[in-house]
Amino acid sequence: MPVPFDREGPPAPRGGLILLQILTLGLFCLFIARFWYLQVLRGDYFGDLARSNQIRETSISSPRGVIWDRNGVLLAVNEPSFALGLVREDCADISATLGQVAEWTGLETSNLQEIYLRGKKRVKTFEPLILINDLSFETLAKIESNLVFWPGLEIIVRHKRFYPRGELLAHVLGYVAEANEEELEKDPTLALGDAVGKQGMEYTMETRLRGQKGRKQIQVDALGRELDEQVIVEPKGGNNVTLSIDLGLQEHCAQQLEGQAGAVVVLDPDTGQVLALVSQPSYDNNLFVLGLSANKWQELRDDPMHPIQNRVSQSVYPPGSVFKLLMTTVGFATGMLKYTDSTVCTGSYKMGNHEFHCWKKGGHGRIDLRGALVNSCDVYFYQLGERLGVDRINAVATECGLGVPTGIDLPHERAGIVPSTAWKKKRYGVAWTRGETLNTSIGQGYVQLSPLQVARFMGSLVNGGRILKPLLDANDPPLEQGRLPISDKDREFIVSAMVATVDAGTAHKIWRPDARIGGKTGTAQVVKLINADERKKTVDMPYKYRDHSWLASFGQKDGKSYVVVCMVEHGGHAGEAAVPVVKSVYDYLFGPVRTQAQSKSQPQTDTAPPAESD
Amino acid sequence: MTPIDRRLVFSLNWPLLLLVAGLFTVGVFNLYSASGVRVEEGVALNPYYQKQVVWGLAGLFCMVVVMLPDYRYLKSLAWPLMCLTLILLAMVPIVGKSVYGAKRWLDLGAMSFQPSELAKISVLLLAARMLSEASGKLGWLGLLGVLAACLVPAAMIVVQPDLGSGLNIVLLLGGLILYRGLTGGVFKTLIVAIPAIMPLAWRFLKPYQKQRILTFLNPENDPLGSGYHIIQSQIAVGSGKIWGKGYLEGSQSQLRFLPEKHTDFAVAVFSEEWGFIGVIVLLSLFAFFLLRIYVSARDAKDRFGSFLCAGVFFYFFWQITINIGMVIGLMPVVGIPLPFISYGGSATIVNFCLIGLVQNVSMRRYVFKKS
Repeated sequence: MPVPFDREGPPAPRGGLILLQILTLGLFCLFIARFWYLQVLRGDYFGDLARSNQIRETSISSPRGVIWDRNGVLLAVNEPSFALGLVREDCADISATLGQVAEWTGLETSNLQEIYLRGKKRVKTFEPLILINDLSFETLAKIESNLVFWPGLEIIVRHKRFYPRGELLAHVLGYVAEANEEELEKDPTLALGDAVGKQGMEYTMETRLRGQKGRKQIQVDALGRELDEQVIVEPKGGNNVTLSIDLGLQEHCAQQLEGQAGAVVVLDPDTGQVLALVSQPSYDNNLFVLGLSANKWQELRDDPMHPIQNRVSQSVYPPGSVFKLLMTTVGFATGMLKYTDSTVCTGSYKMGNHEFHCWKKGGHGRIDLRGALVNSCDVYFYQLGERLGVDRINAVATECGLGVPTGIDLPHERAGIVPSTAWKKKRYGVAWTRGETLNTSIGQGYVQLSPLQVARFMGSLVNGGRILKPLLDANDPPLEQGRLPISDKDREFIVSAMVATVDAGTAHKIWRPDARIGGKTGTAQVVKLINADERKKTVDMPYKYRDHSWLASFGQKDGKSYVVVCMVEHGGHAGEAAVPVVKSVYDYLFGPVRTQAQSKSQPQTDTAPPAESD
Repeated sequence: MTPIDRRLVFSLNWPLLLLVAGLFTVGVFNLYSASGVRVEEGVALNPYYQKQVVWGLAGLFCMVVVMLPDYRYLKSLAWPLMCLTLILLAMVPIVGKSVYGAKRWLDLGAMSFQPSELAKISVLLLAARMLSEASGKLGWLGLLGVLAACLVPAAMIVVQPDLGSGLNIVLLLGGLILYRGLTGGVFKTLIVAIPAIMPLAWRFLKPYQKQRILTFLNPENDPLGSGYHIIQSQIAVGSGKIWGKGYLEGSQSQLRFLPEKHTDFAVAVFSEEWGFIGVIVLLSLFAFFLLRIYVSARDAKDRFGSFLCAGVFFYFFWQITINIGMVIGLMPVVGIPLPFISYGGSATIVNFCLIGLVQNVSMRRYVFKKS
């Protein structure tokens, strides 16, 4: 081999050789130190990170408690709902699949495409993208039998709240709907897509109904695919709730009010339990469960009859003559009114140069307290109001729970108003006038009460003076919120005056021989009338100017006691709208009256003009 | 060709061969584990480890071929090979095929070929030749000569863009220059000058390359983007703790949290499953492997042979430094594989060829006495 070796100088540079050794040793030491740090010093830390990497904890939804009426009829249930999902990863031809779905469901392909494009951004490729939320059974059957030919399509079963009686109990039950951002933020146990109570009992009983979610651990890979799962905590179903509502009574009341705007509330005065709570018109709360379209929501919200409004607790109205019951109570409570106090009603009451009219043009003549209550004499109560002053009225009303929320387990209850001089100063910045006291005395002017408050007050008059919280849960014990500030004798006087009102006074139409029924009618003006001459027959007035019609009553038969309060918006005079409704409710509660008794006891109903105009 | 002398076989760097065999075996077993992916139905295997065995056998054959001719012939081949490399590199932008937005490959019909791999060998040969021609420390003139000859291919590779290979060549060259040694003045000047040029070089980096370096400096800034690799790899390594999770038990790799686990992050799979104890063994294997190359460089009978071995030393040294450094968060993410552990066909062949080169030098260290 002729290749010469290079013999000049030492073959390997000494510095270079040392460099190689140093580099090798340095690298070895550096790496060992770093691995020591990562694996020994911080091994536990990284071990935890690796575990949380692969184990994902998710929750298992728990079924919401169901709601029954007091007789065990289901009012709110959980139903399986079938959704159609598309798993993109498994789908060979997405546009063909969407086309097929359109054919099955009769939806527009372009609509489906839009849903698909919207969902694509949020849903991972191996997760089902929901195309259609609530499949009908018919469509479901059609799709299910063909599912094998369309890989990627998937039927997803979820639980959906269903209210079998929809409109009938919408105002009591409310509804559940998907939790919004705010609710999600407030409650860490809620997850996106969870349903929460938004209205009614579903809202106020949320914590009882919801139950506790279970937890499961899912082993996932880096793409989030689920490989294995293990339940850690079993889900606990929510508590069931039995309502005090009697479905049959509720239905009957609703039918009586059909086509009108108004409220009926039936209470058991001895326990405070609400047996019927009807607000008409109503809406189908099932619409909200799967999400309401913007159009439908707009329609409901802008409906001039306000179907979403719960007129029993969320609406307040001037109570009209019903307020005279309170005026009497105030008189007794302050010791400023005696049974024998009488006055002469000339048909009007003069204050300064303004005349306040009684509903009866000619006047009632000499009239005492009982007569004034039975015949609803306005002049008598003008005078009483003058004597008492508005601040006394306000103080006792508050004690009696009027102008104060009842605390019923329904959201957004309104307090109403019983005015005072301080209230007016604060609200309007001007002083109270004496004339306003007179208006207040007959339940007009600023006074506004909810039908539920009136019912609670009526209950306390007949149950021994106990102001009881209106209860919706049949298992809640009675809750006394206060007592009427009058003696039993005074209370009995008012009750007997109410009985007399039904026996022979303004509420005679609800009289029946086989029960003890008492009541007080009320007609509340919606617009201020300058003088009594302008009063017209209800039918001649435009709807929104018509008076509100009230009847607050109680009925006792065979040891059973009920309070029935009805308010019909713009129903005109009490006798025209509220009275037939209440009468029919007692017919339902006490059964039909024997005919001979009825004909004997109601001689004047058809022939005589309305006994009361109020 | 002369028949193989008994002494040649005797003079082989046997410990180096054994270490390579050990590393390669560890690599194949580790690839078997890295190929496993847990899916719903159990574990799916990608056939990387089988392919790697085939590449290893091919590499062994290439190694023997490289060992046979006397390495001194290579000296005269250095310049022609460099010319060929430059021509091929120049062709890449014109007729090369594009993979992942970078033009690095030349299509040779049945197989593709990366001229940058050839460039590594050309630079190694040329630098070894130029630097071994004279003794003593390197002055300005010699330094500029070597740089002029060897930085041209490096620059052409960087613009492909293939930062990893370009960096590999520059570092290899730098290592060899330091091996030769620089005169005091040159050394001091460079110590000052190189940091000064750095900001200038920054401006020539592609945005994604800048991003990688920024992410390396602060991976938590971007935990799901480019920081993901760094974080997940450190979790894999750290969660191995002292004893490891056990072979085939690494959750980070089996559940696909670890990126590029067959190639760039293969050692993370190893660290996760074998723990700190396994890492000590692996790092010791690498340290002895480098030291055995150092022995060949020390014992070589001429300067050219010694420089060849030193070049191979630096080639491996930098790959080990950058790859493991990246996995344990000491280096930015640069796509450089770990010799004998990472999966890769051409890299395995080149690695074995380079070992063949070292053996070539080692086995001929006594031939001199005879002539």
